[in-house]
Amino acid sequence: MNKEVFQKAYEESVSQLRSYILRMTASVEDTEDLMQDTWIKASRNLSSFKGDSSIKTWIFAIASNLTIDNLRKKKRWPENVTDICKDAAKKNPKHFQETLQIMETSAHAKFEIKEHIAFCFTCIAKSLPLEQHLCILLKEVYGFKIQEVSQILDTRPARVKYHLYTARKKMIDVFEGRCALINKEGVCHQCSEINGIFNPKQNTQEELVKIKMAKEAEKGEKERLLDLRLQVLKDLDPYHSSAHDLQLHHLEHNRRVMEQYLKEKE
Amino acid sequence: MTSMTYGQPDGKATTIRKTFSRTTAVSIGINADRAIVWALLTNAADYARWNSTIISIEGDIMADAKIKLKSTLDPSRTFKLHIKEMMPEEKLMWGDSMGQRTFSLNKGSVNGVTFTMHEKIGGLMFPLFANKIPSFDASFEAFARDLKSEAEIIQKSSR
Repeated sequence: MNKEVFQKAYEESVSQLRSYILRMTASVEDTEDLMQDTWIKASRNLSSFKGDSSIKTWIFAIASNLTIDNLRKKKRWPENVTDICKDAAKKNPKHFQETLQIMETSAHAKFEIKEHIAFCFTCIAKSLPLEQHLCILLKEVYGFKIQEVSQILDTRPARVKYHLYTARKKMIDVFEGRCALINKEGVCHQCSEINGIFNPKQNTQEELVKIKMAKEAEKGEKERLLDLRLQVLKDLDPYHSSAHDLQLHHLEHNRRVMEQYLKEKE
Repeated sequence: MTSMTYGQPDGKATTIRKTFSRTTAVSIGINADRAIVWALLTNAADYARWNSTIISIEGDIMADAKIKLKSTLDPSRTFKLHIKEMMPEEKLMWGDSMGQRTFSLNKGSVNGVTFTMHEKIGGLMFPLFANKIPSFDASFEAFARDLKSEAEIIQKSSR
């Protein structure tokens, strides 16, 4: 493969790649480092590309390996990550002030519930075992086929099926138990609560009606509701969405809180 | 590759009792890729979700590791087990000083695999408490049935 072909393929994939690494690591800084490492590793090894997959699949394989190395030694987050981080935020007036400042100064910081749904998934998906996390993002958010995911992760397609199946089961269970958008008994109302704080004049119910997942919640089709949740992620680029400055700030907060929380649990 | 099978792969457990030991075995045909069956057998944290005979398994199922297993057969006990052998997609063996359980996967007659699980318990003191140990038959049949059901669902999943 020559450099021009690679460069074109890389540029076409770069937004998805950055978004994928961010959703795996939940760290803006690690994402930038891994993006750079991916570029260096790929461009130095163009001769190793044999054409067994698309160039995009090959680039994602390199990025995935580097991301796995980055995450392998780190502990997975707990399912109730958003509860823990909410408590930490409440005790930290600086976080709230920073948030207000971002909202006042950035053109990309208007809180939207759908962005919080994607943010919430990013945090909770970090409670999945690493392989399951990789499979659900690659297949269900970034649109790779099972065969391509197996090439990216250098594993058998049957194993990808297993990881994907178990990841979906777990995410359905977690959101069924937690998310008040799809289950009236759900314990977490965080997206509606924050919307009330940042958009006090807005009618939350009217906003929710615009979100297909919330609209279809009463039908109770769990697999479908997860697909709709994943669709929210597919439609959002965490670096270019209308509230990305706000959401990236929240994500950095949660990452710091989790690192501290997991350190204290050791 | 091991060729260990016990009787027909019909999901029916059999037990052979001897003075100093007892062996229970079950075999069942599973229409799924062996990678899926192997993944189910080796993912400790996932067992309780699909296997009605397991309450929990703590630890990683990997060669020479130790795990803590709680079974519905005796929920008050935690079995501390050693992973004695692991041949990917072929054979897994765990056990303690009292006995050992072996899981093996063999090529099935049509598609898929034949899963066999057998456990031998015993020793010199075995006759003293043999009649206090409950039968494993029903639990083995449930294990095999659950594994078959879950593996075939995953195999058929269109995703």
